[in-house]
Amino acid sequence: MKIKDGYLLRTVAGSNIVVPIGEGAIDFSGVITLNEVGAFLWRVLEDGADKAALLKKLTDEYEVDDATASADIDAFIARLQEASLLDD
Amino acid sequence: MNKLRVADLDLLLGYKYPTMQKQAAAYLCDFEKPNITVNIPDEEIARLAAENPHLTQNDIEYIFTGAAFYEALLNFGGFMLHSSGVCVDGYAYLFSADPGTGKSTHTALWQKYLGEDRAIIINDDKPAIRIADGITYVYGTPWSGKTDKNLNMRVPLGAIVFLERSKRNFIKRISVREAIPLLMKQTFRPTEKKEMCLLLDVLDKVLAETPLYRLGCDMSREAVELSYNTIKIIK
Repeated sequence: MKIKDGYLLRTVAGSNIVVPIGEGAIDFSGVITLNEVGAFLWRVLEDGADKAALLKKLTDEYEVDDATASADIDAFIARLQEASLLDD
Repeated sequence: MNKLRVADLDLLLGYKYPTMQKQAAAYLCDFEKPNITVNIPDEEIARLAAENPHLTQNDIEYIFTGAAFYEALLNFGGFMLHSSGVCVDGYAYLFSADPGTGKSTHTALWQKYLGEDRAIIINDDKPAIRIADGITYVYGTPWSGKTDKNLNMRVPLGAIVFLERSKRNFIKRISVREAIPLLMKQTFRPTEKKEMCLLLDVLDKVLAETPLYRLGCDMSREAVELSYNTIKIIK
């Protein structure tokens, strides 16, 4: 899984936001806000990763058990898929 | 080409139609070398007028020179916020909303109840916000939407208020995270990465230190008292 091209993640005054740029900006004019973990997962997915890689990175970075991390990742991926933000 | 000074920037601006001539008059100023040059060729104006049959060439010149100026402003640490800006006691308060919501109505009510000598409209539709010497200023510009209410001055930004109509008056402080999607709807939104980064760089500084609010209001005196008493900054 990989985040589609044409999105920019930036931290603005402490808030993590994603905005579309280029052609994507014409179809979608919204703003996505992410919490800290969401921004972390987004950055991993910018380079591409599968579920196992996401789980490893997340549990390495944060003190969280596998079950909680796995559920967080599933929810985040579902949200990204719903918004058509992922290349398979 | 005409020489103007807008938002503390030297602007070389090409125009020939009456609206722009009238709006630009208070900003004429001499300089050697411009910071920004905006000139829309005649054939481009004609093409845009053909694309937008409800607009005259006069309107096209006014709208598109404004859009070009505000795009260039991103390179100088500034941006446009679609809002009506009212200045009281040394601070500018920006009321931002979609067209037709009542932002100009609300600032006109500030003038009515606080007095027109005390509450002045710096720009009724498209003020510039720019950081200069570490201070976030609101600037009047020649581009103020359908009205000619704009003043060639700068005033420190006091607050940004996102306004909506409501039968019950309310105001609440909102977070940067809540404000950004509202704000992005009310500025010229860049599509190119470089310009988007410039916009987000300015917002990073401005939003960190500016009080942000959501206001739901009707057209009553109570609405003005609520917003003024909540957001006013006393020196």
